[in-house]
Amino acid sequence: MCQNPNEPSKNPSHFESSNTTEEPTHRDLLWEEYQNLIEGMRFFDPHIHMVSRTTDDYQMMAKAGIVAIIEPAFWVGQPRTGLASFKDYYSSLVGWERFRSSQFGIKHYCTMGLNSREANNERLAEEVMEILPLFAYKEGVVGIGEIGFDDQTVLEEKYYRLQLELAKKAKLPVQIHTPHRDKKRGTERSMSIALEHGLDPSWVVVDHNNEETVKSVLDQGFWAAFTIYPFTKMGNERMVAVVEKYGSERIMINSSADWGISDPLAIPKTAALMKQRGIPSDVIRMVTYQNAIDAFSKSGQIDVADFEIEFQPDPNAKFHGNSILRGGQQPVISKNSLLIQ
Amino acid sequence: MENILTNLTQFLFEETSVAERAWLEVQAQSNALELMTAFVAAPRFISKKNVTYDSQVRENLISHLPGFQADGWNLVRLSRVWLLLHLESEPKEQFIKNIETLFDTAELNELVALYSALPLLPYPWEWLARATDAVRSNMGFVFDAISLKNPYPELYFPEAAWNQLVLKTIFNGKPIHWIYGLERRKNKELSISIFDFISERYAAGRKVPAQVWRLVGSFVEESTYPKLVQLFASKEKEEREAAALVCFESKNPQFRSLLSKYPELELSIQNGDLDWSKLESISE
Ligand SMILES: [Zn+2]
Repeated sequence: MCQNPNEPSKNPSHFESSNTTEEPTHRDLLWEEYQNLIEGMRFFDPHIHMVSRTTDDYQMMAKAGIVAIIEPAFWVGQPRTGLASFKDYYSSLVGWERFRSSQFGIKHYCTMGLNSREANNERLAEEVMEILPLFAYKEGVVGIGEIGFDDQTVLEEKYYRLQLELAKKAKLPVQIHTPHRDKKRGTERSMSIALEHGLDPSWVVVDHNNEETVKSVLDQGFWAAFTIYPFTKMGNERMVAVVEKYGSERIMINSSADWGISDPLAIPKTAALMKQRGIPSDVIRMVTYQNAIDAFSKSGQIDVADFEIEFQPDPNAKFHGNSILRGGQQPVISKNSLLIQ
Repeated sequence: MENILTNLTQFLFEETSVAERAWLEVQAQSNALELMTAFVAAPRFISKKNVTYDSQVRENLISHLPGFQADGWNLVRLSRVWLLLHLESEPKEQFIKNIETLFDTAELNELVALYSALPLLPYPWEWLARATDAVRSNMGFVFDAISLKNPYPELYFPEAAWNQLVLKTIFNGKPIHWIYGLERRKNKELSISIFDFISERYAAGRKVPAQVWRLVGSFVEESTYPKLVQLFASKEKEEREAAALVCFESKNPQFRSLLSKYPELELSIQNGDLDWSKLESISE
């Protein structure tokens, strides 16, 4: 809790490069350059934090073919001071954010969990664990996540284990966040603890993998998720190489877009790149859509008809009497217009 | 409490499958946290089919709690209410804390179930602030759950909150005859507010549902007279009928003689052919 605000490594988002001289592997790609490559494709982003994103993002995501997303509960960027703010945050994941997403034709699911970094405040963590089941069982909750290790402390391990037990009891998949520091060891430790608790690895998605971790994750039967996050260790050109090497089985891609510099279009862009590099369409479909559905459908909470059948968002719909539209706005506006009317 | 549970259990188990019933029976045996979790998890184990019954037959589902209805609920809502009745009610502080936690963490359908359960829960006065809050809610389903076909407001709402509920029901264009105890809790203060509302709507060239006049009938004053003359001249049959019923209910001879100018309407009231129930329309 006593962090030095000037020390950047204590305030990472999903990833943070400790080696600042590393060249970004993310390339700017204009929509015009890749839209024809992904024409007609449907995408499922199994890890994105829409609470940090704007309406523009939703509009672009829908346009790029993203039909469904999973929003894992995570760290909102500053410590929460009480149980009430957890309640409100969790409620927003199954409430307002889900509604907002629906207004852009995107089906929104979430995973519920106590973030590893927040496990280090034991008093608060205890209180959160008491109410977590009340959120884990809600409709549209497709897993316990994102949980695992950050600094790999004793308390992180304690609440990781408790949440694995909750996942088992609730018959929900687990979404594991692997640490950015000491990743390889943290990943192995996360997996062995999950196995120790008797979890079936086909129910566990290990997230934020890289070339160093992927083989072991796949060999042990877990799902291996990759985060395409700018200025990090996983850019999408290297993602293409991973898919070329390991194929499409149990591999999935996500954006993990959040309040950090990130890209909610990481999946469609990576799909376009894979297409460009000659990866077969059915492989692209598996890693950008189907595998995520297969993994999280084990929750019993995903009905693909909800997003595979074209649906028009209802612009007159309201959530608790509130609309996303302010006085007379239309749900879709022209982004190319100079005049903002 | 025993009685409520017996009545509700019988009704619920008539509607559930064998597997659903088995799940419910296991949950009913468990501790508070497990029960609360079951309350949340119900849609994972219980179908959402609608429960309907002949409201004539089951006007009073719980024998000593008139007005409690489950008609049109889905099975999940009914199961959730039933699960809440298994929460240990002692010690009082713990029970209240558990219910408060469920309210604090509830999504929309859970809120609906919680408000539906209020008339059945112990310590009914403890929920008054929540209940009056729900009336102010913009959430349509939540508003309906507390305001319509629910005996809680009639039993516990103070007059101001009750009047607020009725006015908001009218304002939202919802059927006021679904407010339980409407006749019994008519009052002067409410009639004044409603009359203001009616005047405002007429001034704006808009209408009010004809049955709204039932709430003003017994409180009309001299100043209402021109409005009633106007109402009798309406093109709408229902408005003319409402005018007749208001005059008939009034003790004031001036209004009775106004009614006598419309002998057909007067006669049908006297014959029992016309009463407020004929004007109970349900707008979409
Ligand atoms: Zn995340």
